[in-house]
Amino acid sequence: MTATSTGAVYDRGYRPYDGPRGGRNEARRALWRASVRRALGLRRSWRQKVFPWTLLAIVSVPAVVNVGIAYLTRDTVAEEFEFITYREYVGVGTALLLFVALTAPDIICPDRRHRMLPLIFARPLTGTDYVVTKVAALTAIVFAFGFLPHVVLFVGQAFVDRDGSLTYVRANAEFIWQVPIAVAIVAIYYSVLGILAASFTNRRAIAGAVFLIVLLVASVVSAVLSGGDEEGVFSSMWAVVNLLALPLRVRDLVFLGEMAPDGPLGGIDGGATAAVVTYLAVVGTSMAVLLRRYRWIET
Amino acid sequence: MTALLRTVGLTKAYPGVVALDELTVDIAPGTVGLVGANGAGKTTLFRIMLGLTPPDSGSIEVAGVDVANDPIGVRTRLGFMPEHDCLPTDQTAADLVATLGEFGGLPPRAARQRASDVLDLVGLDEARFRPLEGFSTGMRQRTKLAQAIVGDPQVVLLDEPTAGLDPSGREEMLQLIERLATFGISIVLATHLLDDVQQVCDQVVMLDGGRLVTAGRTDALVETTGTVTVDAGGHTDALLDAIGAAGLTSVVALDGSVAVSMSSDDDLDRIVAAVAAAGLPLHRLTPRSRSLDDVFLDRATR
Repeated sequence: MTATSTGAVYDRGYRPYDGPRGGRNEARRALWRASVRRALGLRRSWRQKVFPWTLLAIVSVPAVVNVGIAYLTRDTVAEEFEFITYREYVGVGTALLLFVALTAPDIICPDRRHRMLPLIFARPLTGTDYVVTKVAALTAIVFAFGFLPHVVLFVGQAFVDRDGSLTYVRANAEFIWQVPIAVAIVAIYYSVLGILAASFTNRRAIAGAVFLIVLLVASVVSAVLSGGDEEGVFSSMWAVVNLLALPLRVRDLVFLGEMAPDGPLGGIDGGATAAVVTYLAVVGTSMAVLLRRYRWIET
Repeated sequence: MTALLRTVGLTKAYPGVVALDELTVDIAPGTVGLVGANGAGKTTLFRIMLGLTPPDSGSIEVAGVDVANDPIGVRTRLGFMPEHDCLPTDQTAADLVATLGEFGGLPPRAARQRASDVLDLVGLDEARFRPLEGFSTGMRQRTKLAQAIVGDPQVVLLDEPTAGLDPSGREEMLQLIERLATFGISIVLATHLLDDVQQVCDQVVMLDGGRLVTAGRTDALVETTGTVTVDAGGHTDALLDAIGAAGLTSVVALDGSVAVSMSSDDDLDRIVAAVAAAGLPLHRLTPRSRSLDDVFLDRATR
């Protein structure tokens, strides 16, 4: 008996593409998606996923603790528990800084290290598209990581509030617009600086270290220039030099409408204006330097 | 017909060097060899074609699009394969090619499908889900070629595509390029290897120090030289005597064979008759044509 072969080998050759084709905007969106995927470790090995998702879990801990304790004490006569305020929760410093220090280099350094820029810029993209899209991608992730825990906190608190969810929402309605604006202010700032630091070197470790060192040195310089009274309180206009905490000063303005009274710019005339102007100057100058660096693309 | 490449007085200078000097060419669609030594201006011309570097003066159109007016529009029509290694190590070939397809404007699903198709076409079907880190030089060159064509471009710019390949890898790459041409994709092949150009290109642009040496159809440039090569199995002296006795002129001995200048096709019959009369075996009788090396050396030194 002879076996009949049902298999066949096909040479599919080359098939022209006649489907939809986007232009520059679609290219920008694709670059954004690829950058976000890379930062989150998607389509990469499990090792690349550990850090971002662990960080998201870590930054969510205060919200979960706050909601959990509120739930456990909802039927007691104890005072309402507030482990962390919405204002304090914006810019949970160390975790987000570490995230930016590790992620910003990861989404920009490999393109230069592997000399991929000629492949990218042979597509309908410009240097400006590249810079803006990379910053937007990192900002979106930092924003998400800063904002999602707030959602957990707000929704959780609303559910466990002893006076009812609606009452909680009404009492805290201002946070619905304050939190996203404040988180965005922090996210944009750290993302721009993180990408700027990463644009000067092909080595990720160096880029992350430079980002952290510059911010830490700026905070030390600010403290030295500000002096400080006998109680160790630093209150001076030099606080704007503290690049590490600068976005938190602007955050205070969003939540309080003024500089925090217990903060280094509290009670100083023009402190709020100085903080905002310095913030805009730092972000604007950093973007200008970034755009300049990618104006001419070397192939 | 829309020209593949049309330049008029294209000039680009960098400090201390003129990369392109008043380059004027008009190239029809097809497979074009862009040849010249290192520093001849090939890479600069590619950069200008891609709209990445503005020329100092002159104009340039690629696939009918004025590059100065619409650099983004040009890039939607072009694919580019750089000479140097430019692939990340921590991505798979499928992921990289699909991602670059998306950068070219393809929807994500179409990009993945196209990536699969073109990687199959270049012979990386089974390897496409492996990290690029483990790819050989030949596989990396094929991946670079795949990313250049994933967007179904009108024109593909290939910068030294056979660089670093062993003889068999080089031959396979040239066959791939020839195959692409059959799909209606115009190709500009920048190389300093004239043999590669002669094998796959139907047109040639020769540059030297940024200046145009010559441009035209390959077959016209390597046209016959008016001489034939006669090989009588090594009996060179007897062959020279026989051809001389037949009254043929300009007889030159070459490596055991003899080059004979011809004044008409009748001379072929006279050569055959002379060889037969001398009792010599006629192993070979072929028209001599110039190589592109001859053309380049001849015209570049004028």
